[in-house]
Amino acid sequence: MTDALELAERALALVDGDAAEAVVMAERSGFARYAAGEVHQPTLIDDTVVQLRVIRDGCSGSATTNRIDDEGLTDLAGRAVAAAASADPDPELAPLAPPAELAKVEGYDEPTAALGADDQARLAEAAIAASDGLGLYGFFTSGVCELAIASSTGLRAHERTTDATCLALAAVDGASGYAERTSWRAGEIDPAAVAREAAAKAERTRGAVDAPPARYRAVLEPYAIAELLYYSAFDMFNGQALLEERSWFAGRIGERGFDPKVTLVDDGLDPRGLPRSLDFEGTPKQRVVLVEEGVIRDTVWDRENAARAGRASTGHALPLATRAEGAVATAVVMSPGEAESTDELAELVGDGIYVTRLHYLGVVNAREGVITGMTKDGTFRIRDGKVAEPLVNLRFTVSMPELLADVPGLTRETLLVSQSDFYDERWAYGYRVPGMATACFNVTGSGSGPGL
Amino acid sequence: MRAACAAAVDAALGAGATYADARAILRRSQSVGTRNGRVITLTDAESEGIGVRVLVGGSWGFACDRRLDETGAREAALRACAFAAAAGGNGGRALAPLEAGSGSFRPPVEIDPIAVPLEDKVALCLRAEEAMRRPEIKVAQASVRALRERKLFLSSDGAEIEQELVESGGGIDATAVGDDGIVQQRSYPSAHVGSSAQAGWEYVEGLGLEHEAPRVAEQAAQLLRADECPAGVATVVIDHEQMQLQVHESVGHPTELDRVYGTEAAYAGTSFLHPTDLGTLRYGSEHMNITADPTTPGGLGTFGFDDEGVPAARTPIVSEGVLSGFLTSRETAAKIGHGDGGSMRADGWQRMPLVRMTNLHLEPGSGTVDELISEVPEGLYLETNRSWSIDDKRLNFQFGTQMAWEIKRGRIGRLLRDATYTGVTPRFWGSLDRVAGPEAWVMYGLTNCGKGQPGQGAHVSHGASAARFRDVQVGVKS
Repeated sequence: MTDALELAERALALVDGDAAEAVVMAERSGFARYAAGEVHQPTLIDDTVVQLRVIRDGCSGSATTNRIDDEGLTDLAGRAVAAAASADPDPELAPLAPPAELAKVEGYDEPTAALGADDQARLAEAAIAASDGLGLYGFFTSGVCELAIASSTGLRAHERTTDATCLALAAVDGASGYAERTSWRAGEIDPAAVAREAAAKAERTRGAVDAPPARYRAVLEPYAIAELLYYSAFDMFNGQALLEERSWFAGRIGERGFDPKVTLVDDGLDPRGLPRSLDFEGTPKQRVVLVEEGVIRDTVWDRENAARAGRASTGHALPLATRAEGAVATAVVMSPGEAESTDELAELVGDGIYVTRLHYLGVVNAREGVITGMTKDGTFRIRDGKVAEPLVNLRFTVSMPELLADVPGLTRETLLVSQSDFYDERWAYGYRVPGMATACFNVTGSGSGPGL
Repeated sequence: MRAACAAAVDAALGAGATYADARAILRRSQSVGTRNGRVITLTDAESEGIGVRVLVGGSWGFACDRRLDETGAREAALRACAFAAAAGGNGGRALAPLEAGSGSFRPPVEIDPIAVPLEDKVALCLRAEEAMRRPEIKVAQASVRALRERKLFLSSDGAEIEQELVESGGGIDATAVGDDGIVQQRSYPSAHVGSSAQAGWEYVEGLGLEHEAPRVAEQAAQLLRADECPAGVATVVIDHEQMQLQVHESVGHPTELDRVYGTEAAYAGTSFLHPTDLGTLRYGSEHMNITADPTTPGGLGTFGFDDEGVPAARTPIVSEGVLSGFLTSRETAAKIGHGDGGSMRADGWQRMPLVRMTNLHLEPGSGTVDELISEVPEGLYLETNRSWSIDDKRLNFQFGTQMAWEIKRGRIGRLLRDATYTGVTPRFWGSLDRVAGPEAWVMYGLTNCGKGQPGQGAHVSHGASAARFRDVQVGVKS
């Protein structure tokens, strides 16, 4: 990989005299994607993208390229300057991030960075071999990414991170189970164990039956609760949505919104997650308490929206291509509880359903926090406090405030669940959450059975 | 570009590949977005590189390089071969035969969208957005986009294809917030970042964003005062905009043959369809005719050749309600023994081609939308997508629409908010009893269709007329 900070400085130097910011995102990664027990889409990616943002006379514009020779960068600067010249002056434009001391975070692992295609294929094969005769679908991926920012404010920041994920769907006709592990240290991931977890879950899903629409008590595995929280992040936890009154948090800051067992923070510095010290504007990451013992505390902020709100950014700006979404919490940590296992949560639930993971969520009503989707790859009935017969995939339509209003329990163990689907430039992120019991999970229909 | 592609294919064959193809791509795109009078997105982006796909010992491999020279191309080819060899696999992959040849494609473009000055794009957005201002509108947004992509495809089968794709698009959204915390949104021309077409800037000009803006804002404000859509079972007339997503989710994805064979199971999902369903499965009523057509003028899925070099061809997918085709690659076409491929598309040079939708249309029926409505004693007219979700086999779906109009005795009545409807794919399509005619048929271009690991976005178009369905569950509550 190229020297990302040096590259950012080269780009910045080409617009000397203007307020400008150069951001470099570099990636070297491999995906050993498998289906039906063989690697079918192995993909190696190596790219370096330079983004140059120029502010001139209160107007902001940007350009990007992956041509990193002098000609490419000169052309980039010309296009960025032209873009800025095309904008209207913006009196609310936030100034570029000043230099700031960044926290020292972990998040880079040399053995993970050194993994090559042979290793990725070998680790994928380890998962496949452990799938106990079931077809295995998913991937092993690892990558090393660099983020470098050089700004006319004097900001110079560079961070190198690694990430690895093994995702396993063990499936045949009529049965399927799911598991995944992600870490910035590939050595912490045992692909065979991930596959075995998925296969064991799959074996329990044979003979699934329907369950009628109703409001159930439920146990949600970390995979499920992490995804529900992630879909809440774009509106509920987003400072821009708060300002625009699109967030359920609007008008509720300081009020009790959820069960006192619910504490949510966004902590990008947490070494148990996928830590990073800065966001894509160069602002140091802050630990933000979103919900404290059920009380609504705050949202996350980027520079633009923080300025409008008269406060400071919390270091949650997205990459430029998606920044118009506002700030998004990408490292949510949900505090654990006391339950030793999800089986213990089932005891707390007594009668209800058990949900392993979810599929294709959609926000029905952002302001009310209403989300729909399907359960998948391990849905069971809970009877008499025990996980009982398997169920078909169920459609749910839940209000997140209602889902979190009465939480009978949470597991002591938490799990880091990847939320990155690796579109565009690679950027791994995930939520660390426990298993959770809820008093209200609204099932509104049923779909196909488990399996292929 | 040609030398780089040729070097990649030669290097792959030299390294033991039995098949290799190389795609060199130069992509330039511009995005402009404004929000409440401020320019929030103004980006001029470019990306270039080469992607090399190989078959070694019956296993696929893919690698890419941003350097568009022979060195970068060769290195990518060798990495792809090494990855394929390391990945192993069960081997025995066959590709549907292809008469390889040379070709080129370029859509008709009146006004080069990249050449339109950025300041003109900004000004259009600001004018459209200004026209949406009213007290109830908390967020007014406008956006336009332009894209030009040149790509060269070479394969070891002897194909050499040069194509240029050009896209233009735009849209507006108004979000109204009431004193009671109700939030409602209206969008035009579509809910998904507007709509795009493979056309020049004349497409954006033809959208009339400024002209439509006051109506969009007024309707968003009206929704604040509307009653909530009640729950029940109803006859629904679904407008052409929502129908495009209905087609996309409940016909497009399940007929992707890679999903049918399970190779997308870990992410996008599988399909309720089986290979043996071809020609026999009743998908819907006799009014249902769906066509995959990468030759449709202006479609985002329009090309001369797909990313395997297969020439574009029109394929019936559902004919009078019966499954009559799949979206295929050369590999899946060979596996099912039907078709030639032709639906393989990659999101840029950094991604491996996947089976994707091209342009998938609901063919028109007859009559006007008013005629469809006039035949409904009691029901709902649903307009513009708001939310969407469907299960992994593409059976159980739930959609929400921005607006719903009560239908009473064949006439449009009061406005309703927060409408949703849900169903199971074949049962729902089986309840289709009329599709409006060609005059009501509109094509939209979506740019946010996701699939694959690593993720790939696809640009696809759908044409549809409003359609009527009986006995639909509406008003799903949380």
